[in-house]
Amino acid sequence: MPDGWLLDITESRDGRDVVLWLKERANARVTPRALPYRLPFLVDGAKELLEKLQRRLRDDSRVESAEWQVVRPSLFDRRRRKLLAVIPRHLYDRKRVATYVDAVGEYHRFTLYDVDLGAPQLYYLTHDLYPFAPVTWDATTVTATAPAESLDLALAPAPVSVRPFAIELAGYPRDGIVPGEPPVAAVRIGDALLEGAEADLLPEVMRELARQDPDILLTDGGDSFDLPRLYRRAEANGLTPETFFLGRAPALWTPARKARSFATYGRVLHSEATFPLPGRFHLDRANSFLYDDAAIDGLVDAARLARLSLQTVARQSPGTCFTAMEIAEALRGGVHVPWKKNRPEEFKSGRTLVAADRGGVIFLPPVGVHDQVDEFDFASLYPHIMVRNNLSTETLECRCCPHSRKRAPGLGYRSCERTLGLIPRTLQPLLTRRLAYKTAMKDLSRPIEERKRFTERARMLKWVLVTSFGYQGYRNARFGRIECHEAINAYARELIAALIPKAEAAGYRVVHGLVDSLWLVPARPGESPDAPAFATAMSREFDLPLGYEGRYRWIVFLPAVTHGLGVPNRYYGRYENGEFKLRGIASRRQDTPTYVRRFEQELLEAFGKARNAEELRATVPKVLARADLFAARLADGGWPREELLITHRLGQEPEAFVTFTDSVAAVRQLMHHGVRRAAGEAVRYLVVDRRSRSLHDRVVVAERLQGNETYDVGAYRELLARSTETLLAPLGVTREGLLARWGAASAPARHRYRSVESSGQGRLDAVVRA
Amino acid sequence: MGRTAPTYRQALEERLKRWEAFGRLLTTPEERAAFETLRTGARRYVAQATYVGSPDLLESILLSVLLDLARRMPKASAGAPALAAE
Repeated sequence: MPDGWLLDITESRDGRDVVLWLKERANARVTPRALPYRLPFLVDGAKELLEKLQRRLRDDSRVESAEWQVVRPSLFDRRRRKLLAVIPRHLYDRKRVATYVDAVGEYHRFTLYDVDLGAPQLYYLTHDLYPFAPVTWDATTVTATAPAESLDLALAPAPVSVRPFAIELAGYPRDGIVPGEPPVAAVRIGDALLEGAEADLLPEVMRELARQDPDILLTDGGDSFDLPRLYRRAEANGLTPETFFLGRAPALWTPARKARSFATYGRVLHSEATFPLPGRFHLDRANSFLYDDAAIDGLVDAARLARLSLQTVARQSPGTCFTAMEIAEALRGGVHVPWKKNRPEEFKSGRTLVAADRGGVIFLPPVGVHDQVDEFDFASLYPHIMVRNNLSTETLECRCCPHSRKRAPGLGYRSCERTLGLIPRTLQPLLTRRLAYKTAMKDLSRPIEERKRFTERARMLKWVLVTSFGYQGYRNARFGRIECHEAINAYARELIAALIPKAEAAGYRVVHGLVDSLWLVPARPGESPDAPAFATAMSREFDLPLGYEGRYRWIVFLPAVTHGLGVPNRYYGRYENGEFKLRGIASRRQDTPTYVRRFEQELLEAFGKARNAEELRATVPKVLARADLFAARLADGGWPREELLITHRLGQEPEAFVTFTDSVAAVRQLMHHGVRRAAGEAVRYLVVDRRSRSLHDRVVVAERLQGNETYDVGAYRELLARSTETLLAPLGVTREGLLARWGAASAPARHRYRSVESSGQGRLDAVVRA
Repeated sequence: MGRTAPTYRQALEERLKRWEAFGRLLTTPEERAAFETLRTGARRYVAQATYVGSPDLLESILLSVLLDLARRMPKASAGAPALAAE
């Protein structure tokens, strides 16, 4: 029986200890326990240089010790070597000392390891501990009662108490424009609503937190709004971080990481500053991509496997989790983590590059309505390929197997046949785990609460597994290697190519294929092959789990606006079991205004009744009648303004925009009222007059919406027509047709732009005409 | 995203863009429509051409266009049904 649970490990503020936050089973109290811990980082290099460095570091006041250690530092090393292990005096000095060492080695003579590992992370790994571990303890040691990777589905999760947390400002709604720093009028903690003058309120917040003593403060915008504002108000009231804190110990009021805008995969995103708390978790829904999908239980499971704090996991991408899991696996195998990845792409000829750098198979689906379609998906195909074929940084083109039979199809990259690589070793347990969760979540004999928990965990792992592939090609991935990325794709393409004749032999014809999924129809209409049997047979044949997703009552593949051929990932359909599958349509996008979403829902509802393609076609007039009704109600001018708000994510900083669009008008209007949005952040607005050249008249930002503004009927009908066309194009509906039907002429010309300086423009125009 | 060689899809679109100038100087609607058919035909077999991964872009485009024409030809080979115009 454990004494309790280890919730989190943090660094002590003096930089000499780690603090273990232990939750007692008996009374649910959480207490800190500080244990001295300072971890070394390793320096590799020529012996005489290391000796010189050692002498130098011994005189350095920031360094506790610099001793020799015999290790096998990198994945590529076969033998153990003597390296210099440097322990800085303070945990927070690690990076500074490492940078110094790197500079001494003129940035190329030394290779450094384990520099950016967190002290908590390494403490977990070296002491067989992990976040939320059931533990026993005595005066000197804390011991986990089960290893992190154990998969005991009956094991109760660590109990954590969650309380919502929010502040209210005097006189300003949360979603409005707040000028300056108005006082905090109220604070909600769980069910308690604290009110009063700030001088009394702030100490009361501390008392109420101590009384309820929650493990998790759950906010909706805490990183961007509640915590920074609360801290600033505390400062204005003469409090200090020592006297006012929300965690279980004092912490600095500055963010752990600053807000920043960044570009990824062709999109510009913005991430908020982060305000984690010591001893208590601050989870911000608005600043957590994973929270919505994986919920707390999924995050807890990931924290456990990655040995990262729950607060970190919630705010980071699944890729960070995967990297941390790789690091855990590497350290367990005695391999250390290089500070700066130093593995350039292998030299390749242009010919090889063209041949190697290709993605999975992506067919163009036949545009239109189809029925009798069966869908098959490989579950976690890419991770399975990596495990099956031993694809890993160090196993590819290894020296020990020049005649390996494992070769990437078409590329010939060999993988090792002797030792299982780091990535397969990391992935295999995750795959096993996800499968166990998926089986458990479908087990109806389990209580519904438990099944929900397994669903959340399975979802979290899905994200981690999905990123595991992408991280092979990512330049910053610690153990990634681009050739791995290429090999995986080569195996995947070969698989789909091999499946096509098999499907045909089983009586199918291929309609569509997308990387790891196939859509098949009976070759002879009316004669349905046995889909589950086909899935089972293929899973056995290829030794990869092919799942039967289900049969569609109907599915509509949508065309591209530019060339009219099918778009691989834009379709909607309904399975026999009643579930819808929607991809690439407006409802799936975050920026779609509610009224468009509402129309799409009505359309899907109407189509949902159709049992096959023919019935769906017969429903089109009914759907168009609904579209007419929507258009007419829009024209009345009475549509609720909230439902017309358009969300737009800024692709660059506000000053960088050249063209005056609706969203630019919105961002300038916000700036006019003293609110700045960074690149990657979103603006929400109502379009008032699309033809206006004034930032005040063109739109109204959501923050200033009264609800009685007029709106630009033409712009909103246009948007409705466009999304209707997207969904119904294969059924012969066009945007122009819809607009004509609604009596709307094509968009009128814009007002000619006249700047103040060009008062002579009219005369100039006349001259030009003449 | 840090890729050195363009994908077939990208290379194809670039080449088709270059061909636009060719189409602009066509003088009859029939020719222009036929030219458009050709371009669509090139796009139709992107998946297959990617799978081949040939270093010769034109080979892949020509193969796609020819196949598209072949499948449109009425009764081109015994047993192949004529396809309705799209």
